[in-house]
Amino acid sequence: MTWLRALVPQTKWQATFLLVLFVFLFSLPAWGGDYWVRIFTGVTMWAALALSWNVIGGYAGYISFGQVAFFGIGAYTTGLLMQQGRDWNFFATLPIGAILAGVVAVIIGWPVLKLRGAYFAIATWALAEALMQVATAAGFTGGSSGMSLPTNSSTSFFYYVMLVAAVLTFILCYLLLERGRFGYRVKAVRDHEAAAESVGIDTTRVKIQAFVLSAVIPAVFGGIFAYWITFINPQSVLSGEITDQMVVMALVGGLGRIWGPALGAAVLYLINRQFLAVFGDTTSYIAVIGALVALIVLFLPDGLISLGSRARNMRLAQQLITRAIPRAAPPGSVDQPKTKERA
Amino acid sequence: MSLLIQTIVNGILVGGLFVTISLGFSLAFGVLDVVDFAVGEWVMLGAFAGVACVSWLGVDPIPMLPVVFVVFATLGWLVAPLIYRVRTSRYARPALMALAFTFGVATFARGTMLTSFGFDPRTVDIGVVHGTITIGSLHIPALRLAGFVFAAVATALFMGFLYKTRTGLAVRAVAQDKQNAGLMGINVKRISSLVYALYAGLTAMAGVLIGGIYSITAQDGPRYTLLAFFVVVLAGLGSVGGVLVAGLLLGVLQAVVTVYVSADYTLAIVFAVLFVILIVSPQGILRRGAA
Repeated sequence: MTWLRALVPQTKWQATFLLVLFVFLFSLPAWGGDYWVRIFTGVTMWAALALSWNVIGGYAGYISFGQVAFFGIGAYTTGLLMQQGRDWNFFATLPIGAILAGVVAVIIGWPVLKLRGAYFAIATWALAEALMQVATAAGFTGGSSGMSLPTNSSTSFFYYVMLVAAVLTFILCYLLLERGRFGYRVKAVRDHEAAAESVGIDTTRVKIQAFVLSAVIPAVFGGIFAYWITFINPQSVLSGEITDQMVVMALVGGLGRIWGPALGAAVLYLINRQFLAVFGDTTSYIAVIGALVALIVLFLPDGLISLGSRARNMRLAQQLITRAIPRAAPPGSVDQPKTKERA
Repeated sequence: MSLLIQTIVNGILVGGLFVTISLGFSLAFGVLDVVDFAVGEWVMLGAFAGVACVSWLGVDPIPMLPVVFVVFATLGWLVAPLIYRVRTSRYARPALMALAFTFGVATFARGTMLTSFGFDPRTVDIGVVHGTITIGSLHIPALRLAGFVFAAVATALFMGFLYKTRTGLAVRAVAQDKQNAGLMGINVKRISSLVYALYAGLTAMAGVLIGGIYSITAQDGPRYTLLAFFVVVLAGLGSVGGVLVAGLLLGVLQAVVTVYVSADYTLAIVFAVLFVILIVSPQGILRRGAA
């Protein structure tokens, strides 16, 4: 049971933090009121979605603009299986959606992960857009008018389902990426693919594994989301803005860090809800996240989480500088797609 | 049969504008080493500038094209150093961070325009060019023809700049090898800004004409980003010659699908083709070496 031991917090500070967080999150429905329970249902969902994007984008270093495709697959699987006549149990639909998304990720990932950098971003984006067009045009999905699901009006039911799923996601990702050999392999691929291959890592396989992991998680949450909002259409579960949010939250929180996405999701989702409450629409929120991403990239490339402690900041800066010395040359010489396309 | 010819002609006429957009985009990639996610937003902003010319200033957008160019080239000139800064920074993955930066700029532009103008579709009212020209059984809308003529002139000027001037030589040198270009005394940063400014101005001018041919909403930016991607992926990122063929091909493909299948499936089919091309030949099927 070494993996259980790996979950034990290493410092007192961590233990206190985790304890406070858990007590806060699990007791929220008892004292929070419906409004805040709903808000935090959203926060936990986005935290897990941003984390799933972080797996492929932050840990494996492949920017995907198509993760919403898997969210939509999960949502539509749950939606279709819970229609009248089939009447599946809600919890039974989640693994089906996850398996489906995993299979699609393998089929898509195998050719697409051979592409590098920008090509991968474009290919995944094209996949998601094509899927949205198909869902809008096809008959079985209900087209653009969407489909309704059976309703369940208990707010705390969805809160706890989201929370438990998110906690399990965090534990899974933490064990795999921060505590396991898999994490080292993935980071090795990100930092230097050719070097990773030369020490015997099957890079294609590792990349596909990471892609599948980052596809299965959004599928599960897509399923829960569909049941939560009880009505889905292509605009609500396949829109590119969902991917945008995942990317932005991971980026703002801190790429390649386990707690980054959660922090980013909490901050941005709360801002989002405030904008909705104050302005009545979220178009100005789009402008805000755009500006935020640009500013974060310019001034805080390690995300909000790097503000954590000054000491850690110093260490990080030191690391970056030592790493940057061989990279101080102009951009043409550094992982330039043109010369490494086929690598 | 005449419908097919009509469709292909229409497609080629619009394809010219795609060439104009993608040419700058492709060159900006070559010089800055960044895939610019904001390309479609420049088209959208250009179209809205055209709308503003008509409804606020009351002038026809065609004579205002040089003004649009200057305004957007200035904007591009201001944005470019930031992209350059991220691209040459000491971050772990500068290329991906630069991608994320242009994504942020694009999202900011879209959000701002959506907030100011809402989701209503708008059309640029171009009064100078209207009606259709009939040749035999062919009916050519004058505006599309004007768009094609504009695209041809802009492309010719751009190619002239690239291949006949010393600055153009410097641009091509930077696109080939930044380090050696720098050693030859070329100011890489200034060339990057220049190319990005030219590209932004050119794309915005094309946007005015696209806004006249199709209606456009503030959220249409990503659509044109994807179309520009399609062209450069087909051509091979960084290849200028391939863009000419690929842009016209895209125009024809889009027109044929719209007429013979359904406008609903245009993007889906374009994406499917893009996807297959990326998988079969990631370097583009028309690639004959970089600029």
